[in-house]
Amino acid sequence: MIRLEDIEVTFGDFTALHDINVHVKEGQFYTFLGPSGCGKTTTLRTITGFNTPSKGRVYVKGEDITDYPVEKRNIGMVFQNYALFPTMNVYENIAFGMRVQKVNKAELDERVRTMAKKVELNDTQLMRKVAELSGGQQQRVAIARALVTNPSIICLDEPLSNLDAKLRVQLRNELKEMQHNFGITTVYVTHDQEEALTLSDRIAVFNNGRIEQIGTPDEIYSHSATEFVCNFIGDINKLRPQLIHEVNRQSNIKVDPDKANYIRLEQLHVNYKRDGDAVSIPARIVSREYYGLYIKYTIEALGQTLKAIEKNDGAAYFPEGTDVNLSFNPAAVMSY
Amino acid sequence: MKAKLSRFWKDLTPGRALIAVLFVWFIMTCIIVPIVHLLGTIFLADGSFSLEPIHKLMKSKKAMNSLRNSFILGPTLSLSVGIVGIFLVLVTEYFDIKGANILRLGYMTTLLYGGIILVSGYKFIYGSNGFLTNALIRIFPSFNRNWFQGYWAVLFVMTFSCTSNHMIFLRNAMRAVDFQTVEAARNMGANQWTILRRVVLPVLLPSLFAVTILTFITGLSAMSAPLLVGGTQFQTINPMIKTFADSTNSKDLAALLSLVLGMATMVLLYIMTQIEKRGHYMSVSKVKTRIVKQKINNPVVNVIVHILAYVLFAIYVVPVVLIVLFSFTSSKNIATRTLDFGSLSLDNYRYLLSASSNYRPFIVSIVYSVLAAVLISVIIVAACRIIQKRKDTLVAGVLNYSLMIPWLLPTTLVALALMLLYNQHHWYMFNRVLTGTMIIMLIGYVVIKLPFSLRMTKAAFFSLDNALEDASRNLGAKGWYTFRRVVFPAILPTVMAVAALNINSLLGDYDMSAFLYHPINPTLGVKVRSLTEDLTNANSTALTFVYAVLMMIISGIVLFLVYGRGSQDNTQSK
Repeated sequence: MIRLEDIEVTFGDFTALHDINVHVKEGQFYTFLGPSGCGKTTTLRTITGFNTPSKGRVYVKGEDITDYPVEKRNIGMVFQNYALFPTMNVYENIAFGMRVQKVNKAELDERVRTMAKKVELNDTQLMRKVAELSGGQQQRVAIARALVTNPSIICLDEPLSNLDAKLRVQLRNELKEMQHNFGITTVYVTHDQEEALTLSDRIAVFNNGRIEQIGTPDEIYSHSATEFVCNFIGDINKLRPQLIHEVNRQSNIKVDPDKANYIRLEQLHVNYKRDGDAVSIPARIVSREYYGLYIKYTIEALGQTLKAIEKNDGAAYFPEGTDVNLSFNPAAVMSY
Repeated sequence: MKAKLSRFWKDLTPGRALIAVLFVWFIMTCIIVPIVHLLGTIFLADGSFSLEPIHKLMKSKKAMNSLRNSFILGPTLSLSVGIVGIFLVLVTEYFDIKGANILRLGYMTTLLYGGIILVSGYKFIYGSNGFLTNALIRIFPSFNRNWFQGYWAVLFVMTFSCTSNHMIFLRNAMRAVDFQTVEAARNMGANQWTILRRVVLPVLLPSLFAVTILTFITGLSAMSAPLLVGGTQFQTINPMIKTFADSTNSKDLAALLSLVLGMATMVLLYIMTQIEKRGHYMSVSKVKTRIVKQKINNPVVNVIVHILAYVLFAIYVVPVVLIVLFSFTSSKNIATRTLDFGSLSLDNYRYLLSASSNYRPFIVSIVYSVLAAVLISVIIVAACRIIQKRKDTLVAGVLNYSLMIPWLLPTTLVALALMLLYNQHHWYMFNRVLTGTMIIMLIGYVVIKLPFSLRMTKAAFFSLDNALEDASRNLGAKGWYTFRRVVFPAILPTVMAVAALNINSLLGDYDMSAFLYHPINPTLGVKVRSLTEDLTNANSTALTFVYAVLMMIISGIVLFLVYGRGSQDNTQSK
């Protein structure tokens, strides 16, 4: 559906994107993930035509659209702050694209109202000024405006970043449901790993204008290809050589102590019996943080401080200072 | 470079080329060439460079006196306006003064009327046959009837007419003071005076410097006050420029004086921009709190401040009240300066409508102001769009600075430059002589209001969220459609507000129209000036009052529409 080939984007002397290669399949929810300034929005804006690549080509459905102006691409976009036109009401905002296309009045009206219904905006809300709407309603107007012209692709540039935590989670679910219902190819930009992991079919992780890894959420999380991805996604423990030596002493699965070795918090188990390839290391609880659903322990093992999380099932609730066993499978260690 | 050039030619559509030609023509013929020609009038009078006008100026006692007077008035006015202005802001915004809301309204009356109409109002009260003068003579028969004349009279009138900037800018700065800083100072043991001196006033200082310099420039460029109450002893640069410009042999002196005024203005504005660059103090509090009015602890000081506040209130309000009341009284009452509430009528307003010579100046001023405001809006919106779209390019820089040139020039210099250039025909003005025609003043009005309009409108353009235009393009709209449907509606409130403020300030203009007015169609300012020459004529005075009242109503409506309904923020920012 979308193919980016060897894209390079420069701003004066600064190269914002280096050799970006992405292939988004039809109907996929594809996320560009990365920290601020990594190039994810620049890549999105290259797809929509706001940025012109200095090298490389952009293809949509096999057609080279690199030199097409923005207005000719038929790619819907939802902006970070929604960019709703403040001088128009909700109806006019949604109708804007069709007015540009000179769609006749009756059809325009029908399509606006149908789309409004799909995104759960009622007739009263249609006549409201955009400033009178809540954040969630504004987001729905922005999506309706982007979808009503029947674009082949929709691009969303951090559309949840301005909302509070609770609304973010609620709208995240609605967004996924809407994408599923419309079946539209979606390119989504975010710096929020949780958003990326929960929404996406595939994720491209960006760093310093390059793609570090492309994969499914599980591949990205459990098999991070680079040290950057491993550190960027989720909480992680870096294991010191002394601990690695102990692992190698106990297990047949060998870990290279000269590499940077990491293990995710949920892979460490407190007071578990040694099982199969798992190693067991004597440790002591330094502190614990209670999160309701789970408990996060800070543990000292072989002179190193580690973090581990345990599901709060009522059983594993160790007070500070308790001597425990820390067990984990060396296969879960990610080495770089 | 080659790529830039090729892109330039690719972007140059016939429409864009036409707009570029129009801008170059306007800037050259209405701003640059008149000023260059003015310099030529001074230094190249006989075709060769000569400093003779400078010698001539230095030999002219009247001219040198006017220069000296202006440079006395500038700093002393800054000082007097500064003292009164700060006091007004403190008693209305900082100290807990009984009736502060009423006091504020009274102090803001100078926003409703100004210039020659305000001075004529003061003259009616304090002048040789004034309301207060007559009252004083009845008590002290030997009292000098001409007491309100010369330097002190000019300083008095201008002090109370120039506090408008303080009531707008300094008041806003005071409102920006974070009350938690006051509480913190009190918590550390500071007394009221220390808090005011060490915490509050330093925050106001950048704004205070700026308004002081603006007042200095106003003092240097004084026209109406010295003309009406300066007498023969205290004439300043601008009235002298007018006198020399009217004489056939002294036009070079007029031009040279206007140049001196222009250079002084440039120096002062340079100082002001340097101060502005230092920036304003920003509150670093996470949660800023509004200032809570401070009760003056010392009872004696409290009483003195209250008395002073109400004396100033009377000085501000009495002329307005008398102008309004006398506009409804009979000619006899006006002639004798006595108020008879039983004889109030609308006769003076009927008198205004009775002869075209009475109401025509009002209509002329309205037509000129509206036309100028519309033309300015068109020019400025187009310029701002170019500056916004071509940000950081040479074209944007040249356009921006060219349109800001009039900011450095006093109104009289612009007027004189246009008058002297276009009293002959030139090919670039289609071989038309403009001096003495209706069109030249329109050009003058447009030119002097460009900088203010550009600053305000440009700010609106740049505060617009870029994503709005991106969204419009993403939905398929091209440049012109996006501008028409998205950008222009968003900046329209600012454009309208700027136009309204321009109409408001041009309506009572005298400084420009004194040089460029059409003899058959004098403006309101010119008409009032001619009426004030004969304040013993009751009908003339009555007409001045009617004009003043109508002006106040118009200004009141404009100010309410622009400021009164709260600022409309149409740009979405999150």
